[in-house]
Amino acid sequence: MHELGVVFEVIKNVENFAKKNGVTKIDTLVLQIGELSSMIPKYIEACYPAAVDGTFMQYTKLKIEILPGNGLCKKCSTVFNLMKNGGKCPGCRNEEWELLSGKEFMIKEIIAC
Amino acid sequence: MNSFRVLEIKQSVFEDNDRDADLLRDELKKDKTFLLNLMSSPGSGKTTTVIRTIEALKDEMKIGVLEADIDSDVDAHTVSKTGTRVIQLHTGGMCHLDADMTRQGLNGLGTSGLDFVILENVGNLVCPAEFDTGASKNAMILSVPEGDDKPLKYPLMFSIVDVLLINKMDAIDYFDFDLEAVKERVKKLNPNIKVIPISAKKGEGMEEWAEWIRAEVKNWNQQ
Ligand SMILES: Nc1nc2c(ncn2[C@@H]2O[C@H](COP(=O)(O)OP(=O)(O)OP(=O)(O)O)[C@@H](O)[C@H]2O)c(=O)[nH]1
Ligand SMILES: [Mg+2]
Ligand SMILES: [Zn+2]
Repeated sequence: MHELGVVFEVIKNVENFAKKNGVTKIDTLVLQIGELSSMIPKYIEACYPAAVDGTFMQYTKLKIEILPGNGLCKKCSTVFNLMKNGGKCPGCRNEEWELLSGKEFMIKEIIAC
Repeated sequence: MNSFRVLEIKQSVFEDNDRDADLLRDELKKDKTFLLNLMSSPGSGKTTTVIRTIEALKDEMKIGVLEADIDSDVDAHTVSKTGTRVIQLHTGGMCHLDADMTRQGLNGLGTSGLDFVILENVGNLVCPAEFDTGASKNAMILSVPEGDDKPLKYPLMFSIVDVLLINKMDAIDYFDFDLEAVKERVKKLNPNIKVIPISAKKGEGMEEWAEWIRAEVKNWNQQ
């Protein structure tokens, strides 16, 4: 499970942001994870409590939003969901596409209190 | 008390690390030290390849090695027998190295006077692909016994590396490994990738690999 190291990275980023913006308490942290990212939301959630334990985010809730993995067909320019269509354009069955979204792993926002 | 503020961050989790990695690359450039990040699954032949590479190039450039491991120093010990400067980095349970850990390792090694540093990353095809170490170039080893379907299963790794070594070619007769299919799959993900079949054990392909490094080191010092 590689998510733990990445959650530490998240905490580091949020800490930096909080310091710069004079935030001392965070109620909720909102992450956005692409469907094609190697980060599995279930595992992120599972290791989150251990990762924040003892930090200023100990009582911060975690919310995860999933972003779709979309491709743009190189032949007919259809935009389609890669997972649902097994990587094949539903318009012309072409398998060559350009990745538009889905690999993200973003810190979207924090709700400070 | 219940007034909540929403602060938009909209920042990739890897952004801080990416920035740090760019800084490290600039430092290495100034030092004229070429850093190669070598990644693969456990047991693909990273350490064996590192030793072969040192043998091939040690008379023409000053080489250093960073060995990253979750918790052991077997590889550093093996490499140190070649007489090369080597340092062991323990990632303490982490499955990857980030730019900051890499910088610490380089400081420990002391890069002044080194032309070429090889970083043997943690054996893993997932996380190292997501963390830029600050290396000049990224290389990956896929070994024949792992199978030719790996590019389909770990597309990110194959799409970020500059060069792919296909190791254990001496064993190809014992496995159903379609070299041409791998090349095709990899080029689809990464059109500019260089693919070099090698056998770190027997020495096959090592001259082409050494040639690639020579050219890259030269290029790094010129730009
Ligand atoms: N047949 C064959 N075996 C090889 C070759 N290269 C490495 N090996 C063997 O593969 C095994 C693992 O090699 P290492 O070089 O230790 O692999 P590694 O990637 O450094 O392994 P970790 O650091 O544990 O991830 C050893 O038994 C090597 O002798 C090769 O080209 N052909
Ligand atoms: Mg090794
Ligand atoms: Zn189409």
